[in-house]
Amino acid sequence: MVGLLPSINFIGFQDRLSRELIAAWAIAKKDVIIYYLRPGTIVGGVLFPLFMFLAFTAGKLGTATALIPGLVGITTLFSASSIEPVSIPIERRTATFDRLLAAPISLNALVLGESLSGLLYSVVIALIVVVAALLILATSIVSIFPILVGILLSSLCFATMGTLFAAYPTESPGDIISMVNVVRFPLIFISGVFIPLATLPAVGQMIAYVSPLTYANDLIQGGYNGKMTFNPFIDVAMLVVFILIFQLVANLLYKRFND
Amino acid sequence: MQAIEVSHLVKKFGDATAVNDISFSVAAGETFGFLGPNGAGKTTTIRMLTGISSPTSGMAKIFGHDIVHETVAARQSMGIVSETSNVYTDLTGWQNMMLAAQLYRIGRSERDKNATELLKRFELYERRGDDVHGYSKGMQRRLTIAMGLVNRPRLLFLDEPTSGLDVESNLIIRDMISDLIKEGVTVFLTTHNIEEANVLCDRVAIIEKGHIAAIDAPERLKKTIQSVQSIEVSFDSSSPTRLDELRQLSTVNNARKEGDKFKLFTEDPSAVIDGVMAYAHTHNTRVTSITTLGPSLEDVFVKLTGLHRSGGGITAID
Repeated sequence: MVGLLPSINFIGFQDRLSRELIAAWAIAKKDVIIYYLRPGTIVGGVLFPLFMFLAFTAGKLGTATALIPGLVGITTLFSASSIEPVSIPIERRTATFDRLLAAPISLNALVLGESLSGLLYSVVIALIVVVAALLILATSIVSIFPILVGILLSSLCFATMGTLFAAYPTESPGDIISMVNVVRFPLIFISGVFIPLATLPAVGQMIAYVSPLTYANDLIQGGYNGKMTFNPFIDVAMLVVFILIFQLVANLLYKRFND
Repeated sequence: MQAIEVSHLVKKFGDATAVNDISFSVAAGETFGFLGPNGAGKTTTIRMLTGISSPTSGMAKIFGHDIVHETVAARQSMGIVSETSNVYTDLTGWQNMMLAAQLYRIGRSERDKNATELLKRFELYERRGDDVHGYSKGMQRRLTIAMGLVNRPRLLFLDEPTSGLDVESNLIIRDMISDLIKEGVTVFLTTHNIEEANVLCDRVAIIEKGHIAAIDAPERLKKTIQSVQSIEVSFDSSSPTRLDELRQLSTVNNARKEGDKFKLFTEDPSAVIDGVMAYAHTHNTRVTSITTLGPSLEDVFVKLTGLHRSGGGITAID
């Protein structure tokens, strides 16, 4: 009888996990259909890295091929964290967000579901950049694996960050977008995307260590040119830690702000 | 087991107390009306009972599950229809139903069956493939209720289900609520339509400024204010000064015009009838109908919530 207890708990956990994942996937599917499959969102997603690339090359920030790894990182940052700060305030206004809050799921599943759609969108846009650079610029790749892992983890990380910011209880997307931008733009300059970490002043390096873009960029750079500042396992571990922190904080904020 | 058990529930926002130590229970299969003016604490109570908001203190259980500590289990047995038609207008009716079902983890075959049955019941099946932004207001309301029923709940929270709807949607929804009651579903109904609560509910609670002012069966509540009786009278001719003239009759406490009729409130109906007949005679008009009415649930509501009637409607004193 005693021996049965752990298996019963395990079944309960499995059941709960399966319920949460099904609900999260349903929310993600809903977001993809409503927000991400709009022509404007797709075109905007593709044009963003193109214009960034043109701006960087025009600004002579580096050779075209040398800019691609940083561009992939920035693309995941902006595409993953752009839609939830818009969609969640809109859903608050239409009260559809209340439907999700009142569903028999945890806030963790809600946050994950909202973030999953951003993850999928970001991965697709980032892969378009990778493939376009391969075909058009003939960029060389040392190993595709760290690039894919970097895109995947950073997309989830930044999507969760976008969902976290969207916890702020407003019905106006502009309120949240302006807050997100206060964080996103400085991240570009302190994460080793354009300025190598080694050349940053000590304070800059300290700040860079608490930026998830630093680790995402390091993994992606490693895939392109084999040069990495950190051990790839540290990059992966740090991105996972950031995802967990964003998920936890988002969970707490949604709980607090909905009270 | 009670469907809902609420004990000393309190909700504070800073220094303001929205819900102040309310306690009540709703039996399984009961239809319970929750009435109160705007700002009385109805929505805050519903948000706590559905687990969206946490109580400051007190306890609420849904079929024995504590809504704070066993939120998911408690929600699994309930359906929620909010005041706003919160459907995704960029999805089709069918996609909305599927999303609602997936949030309750209903398997594919069962959700297809439930969605088909509900959409047919609410006369939306033919339009199931259309985006909801093309639906009328009544259709969106019906879809909202269908989504609230997709998990076949034992307890349904209905917040203003028929507010502002066309006659057809109103009838479909009223029939549906009656059917649910017959099927033994517990219904927690919030409505501004007091007659709706009077007709549908086994018991009603009237909440005012965060307190439960009264809780009982509608007929028993009416008996508590037997002094508020009224005479409904109509005449064969109209006069712009008639309402004021009727108000002047002795023993008439208040009067209001309702369509082609006048409702005269009194504690002595027979004296008012005599007064009305005398008034008709002296003003050279005929009484076409006259009826004595007991207090309505609306009268109870007005008395307990401290509202007053203005013209044909009810307005808050402050």
